[in-house]
Amino acid sequence: MYLWFNKLGSPPHFYRIAGKWMPWLASIFLVLLLTGLYGGLVLAPPDYQQGDSYRIIFIHVPSAWMSLFIYVVMAFCGVVTVVWRMKLAEVILISSAPIGASFTFLALVTGSLWGKPMWGTWWVWDARLTSELILLFLYLGVIGLHGAIEDKRVAARAVAILAIVGVVNIPIIHYSVEWWNSLHQGPTVTKFDKPSIHWSMLLPLLLMALAFQVYYVLALFQRCRAELLLRERNSKWVQELSGE
Amino acid sequence: MKPARKKRLALIALMVAGIATGIGFALKSLDENIMFFFTPSEVAQGKAPQGRLFRMGGMVVSGSVSRPGEGLTVHFDLTDNESQVTVMYTGILPDLFREGQGIIANGRLDKNGAFVAQEVLAKHDENYMPPEVAEAMKKSGGEL
Amino acid sequence: MNRLSLSQAFIYLLRRDLTLAVRNRAEFANPLLFFILVITLFPLAVGAVPELLARIAPGIIWVAALLAAMLSLDSIFRSDFDDGSLEQLLMSAHPMPVLVLAKVAAHWLVTGIPLLLVSPLLAEMLGMPQAAQGILLLTILIGTPILSLVGSIGVALTVGLPKGGIILSLLVLPLYVPVLIFASGAIEGAAGGLDVSAQIYMLLAFLFLSISLSPLATAAALRMSMS
Repeated sequence: MYLWFNKLGSPPHFYRIAGKWMPWLASIFLVLLLTGLYGGLVLAPPDYQQGDSYRIIFIHVPSAWMSLFIYVVMAFCGVVTVVWRMKLAEVILISSAPIGASFTFLALVTGSLWGKPMWGTWWVWDARLTSELILLFLYLGVIGLHGAIEDKRVAARAVAILAIVGVVNIPIIHYSVEWWNSLHQGPTVTKFDKPSIHWSMLLPLLLMALAFQVYYVLALFQRCRAELLLRERNSKWVQELSGE
Repeated sequence: MKPARKKRLALIALMVAGIATGIGFALKSLDENIMFFFTPSEVAQGKAPQGRLFRMGGMVVSGSVSRPGEGLTVHFDLTDNESQVTVMYTGILPDLFREGQGIIANGRLDKNGAFVAQEVLAKHDENYMPPEVAEAMKKSGGEL
Repeated sequence: MNRLSLSQAFIYLLRRDLTLAVRNRAEFANPLLFFILVITLFPLAVGAVPELLARIAPGIIWVAALLAAMLSLDSIFRSDFDDGSLEQLLMSAHPMPVLVLAKVAAHWLVTGIPLLLVSPLLAEMLGMPQAAQGILLLTILIGTPILSLVGSIGVALTVGLPKGGIILSLLVLPLYVPVLIFASGAIEGAAGGLDVSAQIYMLLAFLFLSISLSPLATAAALRMSMS
């Protein structure tokens, strides 16, 4: 097990494996995305109160989930980076940040588009929205800090500390709707009792969530491979690769 | 035990105590009314401040929505199933505003105890279902 | 050479930083002047309408305090980094987080306390209601140490960088947002005669959590910056 872990952590090995998986991931992503969108936009019935406008949840909710998930992945990689100095964790941490920032941005934009007709406002300064906005700034801070430090191994450790510190924001985002009397509604799917969403809407939602998840892994692999090549450009395996 | 280790243990104990105190304060804070949010019954009991902006949330009472005169002014009652407070608002209401719907109004109380809203926001619930299902549930007396 | 106990080391370090600050008065005069100047800008910019100023006073004072704290942050570690004494500290036998705490405490005494002292005057100039002034002082007393503590993480991360200033604000300001929200919310609530204990408890929670946890992050970040 440890050996396997060690092997996966070695850059050339990861580079090869990731390259092998990517076409598969891409096709799985496309299938999930298309069925999810078809199910959500065509098959799912309109909502009893919100009519067709609710359909934005098929983008909004998965992006919001991903924005939190990716940050947790980053914080986890941050711990691994600080404790074990594992190169792969550093690369995953750095490569995740722009993807996470994009999902956060998407969640904010779609939420805003939804808020205008439903709540009657584009934006309210309530706990959920504000903490999600802070999350976006945290992502941008990670990207900015990484860009500012010349030595990328040092940069990775700096970013790791920042990612770990910022993780306090994650429970705040998640519980903000319960702790404060927020305008944003409570959780639908992740409640402990049965989800309060009809299965015909839940199914496409979960498909979309899965599609976004696969997309994250796909984009992550792509970015990681590029980052690895950049970092290891002077190493033997990269030179062999380009010599071919 | 070596003194160095003792010292380290003491530091860790201090840190844990600090974290515990912090969490304690956070929990205590969450017990209180942090968003200046009041329900209609709290307003009726006079707990809400006079002449200051605060938020009030509740359900729009069925049949209470009226439009006195022309223009965008609308009057309606807000309830939490205990007390009712009349809300006055001039402006465009959100799509989701309807009788029986939960809303949050931002505004202040006038001298007669009516709530003058500057902003009315519709809070939609976390339930999503097709209209037929909602209809069926209503018929069978189930809770929405 | 006799060895210092941990508490002695803490006090020596604190005293050293305070002495340095007293010798180099700009260190605490500049943030204070900045704070006062920013607050003076507002009546000039938005117009000297008393009702308006009184209403936005909590926000003005806290935003100014936030910026003043942020601009002064660099001084926590910058000079020690430049002259190499930071490296000496890192090599000391004492746990680094405790030493970090001493340096942050010195920074707060030098920059936070002056803000606390002038803010009643500024609150009066902005026409803040009497009822809110006590709460204003309380929030500044609880809030500014949080700013120094959380800020120290950001400084430690950027101290090795040639142009750390702008990136520092990008890192630190988002983390300051919760303090700003609860502090100005408390003052505003107090001005309206509401019970603001929830906000104060929340700030206390932030204070205790940041005292316990941020020195660890700062120490780790310093090690990273020195490597």
